[in-house]
Amino acid sequence: MIESVSREKTHVDGSQVARVAPSSFELRSRSRWLERNVLPHEITLRKWLQSRDLAGLEIEDIIQETYSRILALDTFDHISKPRAYAFQVAYSIVLDHVRRLKVVAIDAVPDLDAMSDSFDAFTPEVILSARQDLKRLAHDLAALPDRVREVFQLRRIDGISQRETAFRLGIAESTVEKHMARGLVMMADWFGLGGYSGAPTSSCRTPQSNRRDDPRKP
Amino acid sequence: MTRESPEQINEAASAWAIRAERGLTEIEEARFQDWIAGDPRRLGAFGRMTALLERTERAAALGTSLKHDALVARKHTNLNRRTWLAGGSVIAASAVGFSIFGVLNRLKVSPIDKVYRTNKGGKQVVALDDGSVARLNTTTTLSVAYTKAHRMVRLEGGEAFFEVAKDALRPFIVQAGDTLVRAVGTSFNVSCLPNSPVEVLVREGVVAVSRAARIQQPVRVVANSKATIVKDQAPVRLTTVDAAALNRDLAWQDGRIIIEGETLAAAAAKFERYSNIRIVVGNGALARERISGVFDADDPVTFARTVAVSLDAEVVIGADEARIVR
Repeated sequence: MIESVSREKTHVDGSQVARVAPSSFELRSRSRWLERNVLPHEITLRKWLQSRDLAGLEIEDIIQETYSRILALDTFDHISKPRAYAFQVAYSIVLDHVRRLKVVAIDAVPDLDAMSDSFDAFTPEVILSARQDLKRLAHDLAALPDRVREVFQLRRIDGISQRETAFRLGIAESTVEKHMARGLVMMADWFGLGGYSGAPTSSCRTPQSNRRDDPRKP
Repeated sequence: MTRESPEQINEAASAWAIRAERGLTEIEEARFQDWIAGDPRRLGAFGRMTALLERTERAAALGTSLKHDALVARKHTNLNRRTWLAGGSVIAASAVGFSIFGVLNRLKVSPIDKVYRTNKGGKQVVALDDGSVARLNTTTTLSVAYTKAHRMVRLEGGEAFFEVAKDALRPFIVQAGDTLVRAVGTSFNVSCLPNSPVEVLVREGVVAVSRAARIQQPVRVVANSKATIVKDQAPVRLTTVDAAALNRDLAWQDGRIIIEGETLAAAAAKFERYSNIRIVVGNGALARERISGVFDADDPVTFARTVAVSLDAEVVIGADEARIVR
């Protein structure tokens, strides 16, 4: 449904060169840039997408593919405005999708035309400052299930190795990884919603909900 | 074929992000590449999860506030007699060549707010008050003194990587020896090791490197380049670094040592910073063998064993050494 990420590199002259897929190690290093430059704008991007006709695409699909296209870049040096860049990429994903549809809903097109300008003018309601985000992170960590929280406490706050964490809790290293992975998915969901805001047992996800309802906000 | 939901992708991506953090085995790496190639959304989901996992490292800052007393040395400890620079003449000289005279002056009176230390083999992520992050490598001491006008940190020894929060009105300045590194919003690595020149490696943005004791224009160091500050009178040496070298130099953040075509003797020496177990290499020919690989910095024994297998040698484990012989 969504166009595949190009695994080839297009030169300025249009020729293509075969490209070795980046290793997990290289991707981890690129992801650090994402953490600093794209992650802080993700909530704003989601809000912007919510207010658009996405021609049947899910927001989560677009977010994932936006990160894909950015991560596939060899260098980020040319990206001086990461927020605008991420919006541009998300927009082009929607546009590509609409172009591929055999039948285009008539009313989808003008909306998309309007989109290209609107992200320049879009005023971010939420750009996370590092301090705000740290608070949010503290809330999210506290909301994790007990065992998962325990693992995060040891690994992240006490800075203990995975091996040592497994030893202290009397569990296998693979189990430590499972707890970490589970916690990470939960925190990723909450991050997309703008931080943890419900009972931990609630599976009800309300991406359309307005963050102004959040009781933690003054 | 039913299309995988983004939630399913997120779950798999999270598991891969956790595994990639500790390093994938060769088999896992192959599986990972297959997984990535299977759907265009997976790469992004992995990157996002990895970024979010990185974000949780900032939680270390929550811990430091809980363990405040243990980690924080106050102004009136053994540090109170120290000044940031040795001698007033040094400060006077810098006033002419470099406009941060005001900063240095202020430093003399500004309290050292906090001191962070790591032991041999240790690592620490420090979230600073302004949202900047300092990652401390093994055997490192970092003092932090923030004022309204400047964000000053002093690397008293060791190595640290800085991710500086943008604040054009409050420059971020790292002092290492007599080297000053000034940044606004960028990320860079500074090492100040015994018997080695101070090195500044810039990953993002631009920093200005100058010396407190010399009248000179600051040297601009851009992303993907390294400044080596050799001796008192020599000029700052600039070299560009490619992506592989950058990854290699910053691998310590993941607790790794990356070796590419170095002699066994040089490789073994790298582990000495991280562990009290010394790697001793038997004879001259063996010491000159060239090796490559990615290793856990805190596990010299596994390094020695791995190397021994590939070089057809043996490892003799002693009380505080691993001896490679052939």
